[in-house]
Amino acid sequence: MIYLDHAAATPVSDKVLEAMRPYFSVDFFNPSAAYLPAKKVAADYENAKGVIAHAVGAKASDLVITAGATEANNLAFTAIQTRSCPSFSERSLAPVVTGLGRSVFSTSENMLLERGHPSRLLYLETEHESVRAVADSYGGQAVKVLSNGLIDLDDLKAKITDDTQMISVSLANNELGTIQPMAEIASIIREIKIDRMKRGIKTQLLLHSDASQALNLLDINVARLGVDLLTLNAAKVYGPKGVGALYVSHDAKLKPLTLGGGQEKGLRSGTENVPGVIGFAKAIELAKEHLNGNRKKYASWRKILLSELSGYELINKKHCLDNFVVVSFPGLDAERLIFLLEEEGVYVATGAACAASKGEKSHVLKAIGLTEEQITGSLRITFGEMNNEEQIHEAASIINSVIKNEQKRISK
Amino acid sequence: MKKVYVGMSGGVDSSVSALLLKEQGYCVIGVYMKNWSQDLPGMKCPWAEDLADAKRVAVKLGIDFEVWDFENAYREKVVEYMLDEFKKGNTPNPDIMCNQEIKFKLFYEKAMEAGADYIATGHYARIKTLSDNSYSGSRRSRPSPRGERANPRAAALRNTPSQELSEQTLLMRAVDENKDQTYFLYRISDEALAHTIFPIGEMLKPEVKKLAEKHGLHNAYKKESMGVCFVGEVGMKDFLKEYIDIEPGEIREIESEKVLGYHEGAVFYTIGQRHGLYLNGEKGTVNDGMPYYVVKKDIKNNIVYVSKNLNHEAIWTKELELKDILLHQDVNSSVQVRLRHRAPLIPATFDGKTLHFGKEIKRPASGQSAVLYDGEVCLGGGIIV
Repeated sequence: MIYLDHAAATPVSDKVLEAMRPYFSVDFFNPSAAYLPAKKVAADYENAKGVIAHAVGAKASDLVITAGATEANNLAFTAIQTRSCPSFSERSLAPVVTGLGRSVFSTSENMLLERGHPSRLLYLETEHESVRAVADSYGGQAVKVLSNGLIDLDDLKAKITDDTQMISVSLANNELGTIQPMAEIASIIREIKIDRMKRGIKTQLLLHSDASQALNLLDINVARLGVDLLTLNAAKVYGPKGVGALYVSHDAKLKPLTLGGGQEKGLRSGTENVPGVIGFAKAIELAKEHLNGNRKKYASWRKILLSELSGYELINKKHCLDNFVVVSFPGLDAERLIFLLEEEGVYVATGAACAASKGEKSHVLKAIGLTEEQITGSLRITFGEMNNEEQIHEAASIINSVIKNEQKRISK
Repeated sequence: MKKVYVGMSGGVDSSVSALLLKEQGYCVIGVYMKNWSQDLPGMKCPWAEDLADAKRVAVKLGIDFEVWDFENAYREKVVEYMLDEFKKGNTPNPDIMCNQEIKFKLFYEKAMEAGADYIATGHYARIKTLSDNSYSGSRRSRPSPRGERANPRAAALRNTPSQELSEQTLLMRAVDENKDQTYFLYRISDEALAHTIFPIGEMLKPEVKKLAEKHGLHNAYKKESMGVCFVGEVGMKDFLKEYIDIEPGEIREIESEKVLGYHEGAVFYTIGQRHGLYLNGEKGTVNDGMPYYVVKKDIKNNIVYVSKNLNHEAIWTKELELKDILLHQDVNSSVQVRLRHRAPLIPATFDGKTLHFGKEIKRPASGQSAVLYDGEVCLGGGIIV
């Protein structure tokens, strides 16, 4: 097997698994319990949170642990103040039947626009579904990207109004690996904040970023990025699935989505996922340790792959994570290629793993202006710790031969 | 090379159908018909996964694959028809409508326009042309399904490229009695039938599965879909609740007009039904252990009438009047009738409009179909009034 889909999932590394193991059946105590062994578990949990926080230049108390990045993104948007607007719970997420076959999940977008509310939330149009879907429920407005996948800063500036409360831009895109200029965005926001203060406008303006894809490939520091909210994910960095975290600055006031025993400072009730957080901490520690070495390695593999593959068009040319290669084969159907490559033991993805879940073409590839043909022919290849250099050579030759066969089949 | 467009649903039956056609030397194009993609509360419509399953098989077989979108037509011709019938108090069969209006009409027409010689589906049914003397119709003489001339129908047609449509095409019950789907196919047109291949009609389901396994088709192990596809696991009642305005109403005993309980909406109930009735009357009268049966629905006043009288005339009948009758050929007065998919065949006489049974049968819900057979041959049928 040659696994080239590390952007979709990473295996839990041995060291991570080892670190987690005792917390399932030996140190299994509820951190909230009164006796000493439970207190030790509580301390280990807090320490682990500290390790995760430290990795992004924050403190344990700045983190809310969640069940993954999707929940963290959902939680981040609760910082939007909804006074004088219908509350989140009023805005039903239940289907509204508007006639046959138009049972839709109501997005408040229409409601808000109808009521003449300008958008309080801006997000990048290439964001992951876990941002787009939630943003839509807040009446969010999309900010355009340029053809290189980077945020269109002019469009951002044009769309920020005095009502804008939050801007969400992922640090690295999940389909292209494009790294956004967060510091630049943050400086624009700073200027706007100063201007608002001068004019006596008290509306908050927060910057949120989903860093799920980038945690093990970029040196991340919340202060340097200038973010108020940062989403982290264990599953993409050789940690366990179902564990994530949201970094929350003092400026952002969140509302809980889950009520109960008041864990995580009341923002996320539920008994702590101790093994998950221990595993996340170990994973992030290892990622930091090997950051530079891995980047160099992936960059060289990218070079190898691009020089040995033939008949492709490179889609993510610049400003992207080192382990992302997105190539398009004109005239071919990438979904077919995936099945054919699978037969050869090579696992890759299309632009996004959308085909099987929604049957839609990638909104990311559309946003950067690719043609229908380019999108249909696009493969996403993402390297990781499952790979070695030899595999990259082998993958290139297998992909080349699969493509040659498919071209032959079509021309028949 | 003869061109066949095969409807591929992602299931094992249509996958093996495509496989067989390919092996028989046809130029095969797989088509996923996108008829419905709406999620329901508590149910994600699996259309995209089904599509991916179908495509995976097409790629494995090395055949072309297309997605044809019939969503609008399906909504109009199948779903709206179904809802209208329910609103009238009937119990329609949307699968029969889907075959009549979508698979063997729109799909057929579009395939023909695209240059098809035939269409094919993974239904368990057979077709026989009367001029084909080489085929006796006997089950035992069935050749191996995977031989070069596996499908006698296909072989026959290939031998007569300029086939005459005047030939009589017969719809026949599948070899696998358990899976026979002719009940759902009786309303398809003779023209479409004459251009249709059912590649697995000669096979038993276990053979189909085994063949899929042998060829490494992953959907050999796929869970079989049951019931109406767009309703899925949530069930018809939950589906109807989404689309029909329903009001709770009274359940009355027909003999006494006494209110025995309340129902969620009269359209949900069918005549003869005895389950799912929530009755609470005086002790000893309602709860005496004897079941109540639905015997009448007053849709206008939203009242469901029940009776303890198992012999009530609404439940039993010796006659069934049919409407929208569609026959593929002249019918003798003596026929066999199927009143539900997989139900046993019952002997009856047919006068062109009404079925007469020798003894009383439990009355099927109006809106369901009665399908007529002469032995292996499906003669046609009609909708029960």
